[in-house]
Amino acid sequence: MKISRSRTLLALSTTALALPGIARADAPPVESTLSYKISNYKEDDLSRSEVLFGDLDRYDIDVHQFQLITPVGRNMALRIEANYESLSGASPWFTLAGSNGKPVVSLSGASGIRDRRSEISVGASYYLENGSISGNIGYSEEDDYRAVYAGLSGERHFNNDNTTLSAGFSYSSDDISPTDAKLFNRVTDEHKNSASAYFSVSQLINQVSSIQSGFSITEQSGFLSDPYKLRDVRPEDKTQFAWTTSYRRFFTTADGALHINYRLYHDDFGVSSHTLDTAWHQNIGGSYRLIPAVRYYSQSAADFFTNIDDFTQPLTAPQSSDYRLSAFGAISGSISLVADFGKWTATLTAERYVAREKYSAYEVSQPSTALVAYKRVSFGIDYSF
Amino acid sequence: MRILRITCLLLLATSLLTACTEVRPWQRGNFARVEMQWQTDPLESALNDHIFFSKEASSGGNSAAGGGCGCN
Repeated sequence: MKISRSRTLLALSTTALALPGIARADAPPVESTLSYKISNYKEDDLSRSEVLFGDLDRYDIDVHQFQLITPVGRNMALRIEANYESLSGASPWFTLAGSNGKPVVSLSGASGIRDRRSEISVGASYYLENGSISGNIGYSEEDDYRAVYAGLSGERHFNNDNTTLSAGFSYSSDDISPTDAKLFNRVTDEHKNSASAYFSVSQLINQVSSIQSGFSITEQSGFLSDPYKLRDVRPEDKTQFAWTTSYRRFFTTADGALHINYRLYHDDFGVSSHTLDTAWHQNIGGSYRLIPAVRYYSQSAADFFTNIDDFTQPLTAPQSSDYRLSAFGAISGSISLVADFGKWTATLTAERYVAREKYSAYEVSQPSTALVAYKRVSFGIDYSF
Repeated sequence: MRILRITCLLLLATSLLTACTEVRPWQRGNFARVEMQWQTDPLESALNDHIFFSKEASSGGNSAAGGGCGCN
């Protein structure tokens, strides 16, 4: 019995040594993993009382995700990711005051919007004795949007590998060319750049818990407005700050793990937010895991948000009725079941998300129309070989 | 109020860090478990990040931003 326990401990310790962020030295994966996930995302329709005219149907999106991670030689790993999305539905076009003075929205398009997004990215990691260096490049294309991006990151272990420092930088160059630009007097060709950097620290607290805290800053410049809205004028520069803290704790008796993540966010559009999400990973037998999760999010409004478009303002005056810039709160819950069959792993997830003005932790001086509620169902499969 | 919140969070983070004990390599078995990783399902995390990026004004945290999309 003693020998058996020691072997188990040795096996677990050996596995731990192969895990990025936990290990004494990062190691490339010892086998390849091919992953695929299919998801359906469906937003609730708006009620007729909220809509001036136009469709009530909002976005219905199918998402396909692929990922291959494979070792290359002794010290490298290659990662290839591809995504494909197809969407249909309608999006808010403009807002007016209704007969009761409250805002009503008009959704775009008599037959809604149809679009596709394809994305591919390739990344590689090189593993050193006490850390790793990673890089990636990617390309995303839609009918009206193209993005080329690249990133570089690294991590280093200290303090007998109880502490890990990570840092990274990414850059994205995006081109925007709205459809039906002449018909609706939209901009024709616009551009924006995004540069982002982050720094994080991970620390083992004891044998069952760890904490990670990170800070990121993102600078965007160029055309940041929504070209499909009748009146949407935003500043051409935006700086975003985010501070995230994550906590993990394993409960031996319950054979489960607690995840807590918190993010504090602020940008110079005037938006601040709190995000708190928690999940419980419950092992069931040796092959199954049940993961209930809850997330709370709340943001303040952007300085230039208006819930009723003001067409008397000059075209250069910042204003937007985009509900994503309003003050609101959102609660979401999900449950996942993971089945591990050795080389195969299957995951089924169902999620419900509801955004409401009344859930806001911030003062809501201008309630927005068209806040989103959606359902998502995903099925994923991983195969190691 | 904002300063108070930030101070409380920093104090919480600091208290957790100061409570750390050194974990030897042979004591790290629990960290080998998939449910103890920072990201247990990278595709799920990527999908959630993409959805929240397109439906909320906030983004960022423990990683650098990737490419943009017409969704936001």
